[in-house]
This record gives sequence, C-alpha cells and structure tokens, in this order.
Amino acid sequence: MNILEVKKVTQRFGELRAVDDLSFTVEKGEVFGIAGPNGAGKSTLFNMITGFYRYTGEIIFDNINITKLRPHQICHKGIARTFQIPQLFLTLPVSDNLRVGAHFGAQSGARTHDVAGEEENIKEVIDLLGLSGKEDVLTSHLCLYDKKLTMLAVALATKPKLLLVDEPIGGLSPTETKQFMGLIQKINKESGLTIIIIEHLMKALTALSKRMMIIENGKRIALDTPEKVCCDERVIETYLGRGKHA
Amino acid sequence: MNIARTKIPRDLLILLGIYGGFAILPAFLSGNPAMMGILIMVMIWAVVAGHWDLIMGYAGVFTFGNVAIFVIGAYASGILTINYGISPWLGLLAGGVIAAGVGILISLPCLRLKGAYIALLTFALHMILEPFLKGGVGKAIGTGGALGLLNIPPLSIGGYTFSSLNLVPWFYVTLGISLASLFIIYKIIHSHWGLAFLAVRDSEPLAKSAGIDDYRYKVIVFGVTSFFTGLAGALYAHYIGVLSTRVLGLDLFLLLMVMQVVGGMGRFPGALLGAIIVTFADEGLRAAGVYRLVIFGAMVVAIVVLVPQGIMGAILREKGEGRGPRAPKLKLPPMVRSTRSGKKAGRRENRLEVTYEHS
Repeated sequence: MNILEVKKVTQRFGELRAVDDLSFTVEKGEVFGIAGPNGAGKSTLFNMITGFYRYTGEIIFDNINITKLRPHQICHKGIARTFQIPQLFLTLPVSDNLRVGAHFGAQSGARTHDVAGEEENIKEVIDLLGLSGKEDVLTSHLCLYDKKLTMLAVALATKPKLLLVDEPIGGLSPTETKQFMGLIQKINKESGLTIIIIEHLMKALTALSKRMMIIENGKRIALDTPEKVCCDERVIETYLGRGKHA
Repeated sequence: MNIARTKIPRDLLILLGIYGGFAILPAFLSGNPAMMGILIMVMIWAVVAGHWDLIMGYAGVFTFGNVAIFVIGAYASGILTINYGISPWLGLLAGGVIAAGVGILISLPCLRLKGAYIALLTFALHMILEPFLKGGVGKAIGTGGALGLLNIPPLSIGGYTFSSLNLVPWFYVTLGISLASLFIIYKIIHSHWGLAFLAVRDSEPLAKSAGIDDYRYKVIVFGVTSFFTGLAGALYAHYIGVLSTRVLGLDLFLLLMVMQVVGGMGRFPGALLGAIIVTFADEGLRAAGVYRLVIFGAMVVAIVVLVPQGIMGAILREKGEGRGPRAPKLKLPPMVRSTRSGKKAGRRENRLEVTYEHS
C-alpha cells in the first residue's frame, strides 16, 4: 500500500528546474532512500513534500491531496521532517523543544489540552532516543549529535505517519553515524514508521533502505532495491563513479 | 519554561512586588504632583515597552510601529470622546480595539516579510501617521490638524471627575490598567501561545514543520500587543488632556527602545524595570538638555557591554533561570589556537580546530 504518491512534480527556480517532472511512490512501512549529487534537488523535493515550496504536479499522502497545504497543515496530516542544517529552538530546553512538537504537531482536530498525554509522549520520545537526563539542558548547549537527536525528537513528538530525514549524519563521527543510523532503523522496525531518508553516504543508505532512488538534475535516474541500484550503469556513470563501488 | 511549575515563579514575584511597592508610594508622595506625574508615566510606559517587548523580544517580530499604534489609540479615543460624546472609559476600550484593528491590518503584509523588512514596513506606518493626522483626511475625521486635540475629557466615576489637581486617583487607575496589561503578558509567555512565539522566533522552519501556524501567531501577537498599546495611548490622551503629533517624535521612540534594552529584551518583566529606570532618568536629566540623549546612548552602550541580556537577564542568570545563559568560557592551553570554521560545515557554532605551534 502506498503512503505517498508523488505525481509529476516540477519546481522551477527561474530558469533552473530543480525538480523536473518527478514521480515516485513510497510504500507504507518502508525506509526509502534518496541519493544523488549535490544540487540534484533532494532537499528541494523535501521542501515540496512538506509544503515549504509551491510547485506544479501533485502529491498525495495517505489518500489526501496535500499539494496546496501549508507546512503546519501537512504536519497535522502526519508528515514530520528534519533539516540538513540543524534547526532547533535554541533558547529552549530539550523538553520544551519536544513540547512544541507534542502540542502543536498533534493531528488536526486532535489537539487538546491533554497535558498529561503530552508529557507522556515527550517522555517516550526522550527515552526512545536516549536523551534522558538532558531534558532541562538548553539546546544551544548541546553537542552536534544531541542537537540532531533533539531535532529528530521534535519531529517524532508530532506522532507522524511519515518521517523525512534530510542528510542526518553530516559532521558526525563514524561511531555517531552508526548510532544514528541504528536509531533510524530501530524507529522503523519497532513502530513501523515509514521513513524517507536523504543521504550521501551510500554505505549507510544501502544498509538501511528497502528501496532507493537516485536523482540527478531533478530527474530520477534509478529506483529499485539497493543491490540493483548500485549495479545500475547510469548510477555508476553519473553518481558512484567507477572503482570500488562497481 | 516549565508550564507545570507549582511555586510562584520569580518573574511573577518581581512583577507583583514592583506594582505592590508602587501602590504604596502615594502615601508618601501624594503632596508632590511632579513626582506623582512621573509615577503615572512610568505605569503607562511600562505597558507600551512591555508589549513592544512581547512582540519583539518574545515573538521576534521586529516591529517599529508601536509608537504609531500608541498614537492611533490615543487619537481614536480622543476623537470619539470629543466628537461623539462617548464615555472616556468606553474610549479607552475603543482606542484599544481600533489600535488592534490597525495592528492586525499591518500584520498581514508582515507575514511574508522577515527581520529588517518588517521594521521598515512598520516604521513606514509611523512615518505616514503624522502627515495623515495633520492632513485633509485627518482633519475630516477630527484630528484637529497641526493643532491636535485640545480638551480631551478626563475619566470620571459617578459624579467624580478625575482632575490634574489630585493625581492619586489617576495614579491608581493607571496602575490597575498597567498591572493588568503586564499580567496578561505574563500569562501569555507561560502559555502555549508563548511557546509558539518563542518557537517561531528561534526557528521558523522547524516551528512550521512541527505544526505551528506561523501566520496565525503573528497576527495574534500583533493584535494583542496593539490592543494594549492602543489602550495605553488612550489612557495617556485622557490623562494629559491634549494631544498632538509631537508624540510621534523620535524622543519617545528611542526612550521606549532604551527601556527594553536596559530591562532586557525577551526577559519579562525587564521592560517594566526599564520603564522605571529610564522614565526617572529622563526626568532627572531634563537639565542636561540635548546631552540627555548622549547620556542615554552611553547607558545603552554600558548595558550592552556589561549585561547584554539587560538587568532582568542578569537577575535571571544569577538564579539559573535565564533563557540564554552565557556559555562557559573555554580555557585553552597556550599552545592551542582556535580558528573559526563553523561556516564551512554549515553549522551555527564555531568549531575549535586545534593546531600545535610547537611539536
């Protein structure tokens, strides 16, 4: 069953077609990887799905057309995201960062003054990501890894049905990368949350994804299981390069 | 911010303590009309500076239109009471409502703007207000043109009319309205509205993607702060009794900004502390003439250098409750040099790159 259907979407920035007539579907419960060279339109695609950009074409999420919705409305429908450059509420402690997601991110109509439920939700996410003990720390004081965890936690606190993760491991050490990717896998396995992840590091992406898509110049050049994508002639030609990958 | 806090928070204690202290001052100062006049103005400026801080310090919307909103509230109430004979009490309410309407109107184009552009747009409101009030349209709606409004009726209760001969009743009415206006700020910043303001201020993209309708909260903050600023303007008009566009001069604008900086922006109730200090300093420095502004300039520089978060920021930081305590200072050994390379990695913080001079 498809949770997300992207139908012939195009995003122009002046003359540049950052995303060009792109279509694909994401199945419920899978980890869907997206890779491609810098400037291929990966983050632009995320900004389109989450309503930050207006575009032509259509995106259907959970049988609802979300093409014309604004970011907060799309969040209420059940899509959460993280950002490539860490975005946080830097003057607030970790717990209040999550409270924003828990309170305002609740699905449309379900927002209540259920403070106890919110607190429980916040605690669950904090425990899941291993942020316990840091609830009262201002996020501006956190290290990069914990900042990324907190940003992910804000997204999870909205109780999404689909999570978009944009290049989560940039700047992390190899150990942290492993930890972070392990968490993504755990979240997917334990809660069945559908995850779309953009990542440059092919090793991490192939290990994680059920299917993956390679885009270049806003166009899809491959979409298949990681094994097949990595053997694809065009992918090797334009993205991976000859050598140890092939 | 801990919403579920049970003991009385420090900011509320400071707020109530200050107003409580002010409430007993007339017992000593009622025979000194000059002093009473200053106290009343402190109460009025506290509202204006406090709500300006709510929109600028908390919601992060850089609006420069608050003096204009204040003047709109003042004129609205003045015109309605003079020309249409409504009760000054209703005039206060009408001043607030009309100011809120203008505030919401001005917020709409601001939704699509960011930072300094909002400042430019809202300052444009400030700039066009004077020619508007003095011009033909203004005269037609009863602003009195360049002459301004004379004989704005004072407040009255039952048969008693407030008068400039006895400022004590004026003082208590102003104190009541001022306390209520600032208590509302306190309630807002400790509510989910306040959380939304801070979230949008800190990171608009994350706030939006976490479900906050940024447009909605920007309109709300413009509406609320404009209502109370306009209400304060109306109160000012009835208290002073005359009104002209001179209020739109740069003096008041700058004083209100200085109040916020001195008290601490986004540090409730810093603007109240700022209003007290700056209003008294302003009166005390009258003899200094034009050098007054130089002294205020020096004061701002000193505050920014010594306590960047203002007085309230310093108080909160000492008690470990501040929103932005200073990061601990790194002590580097002499051989280690720090270089900034944060930008390259696309991060906010500066990374320390360690290089050894001697090996």
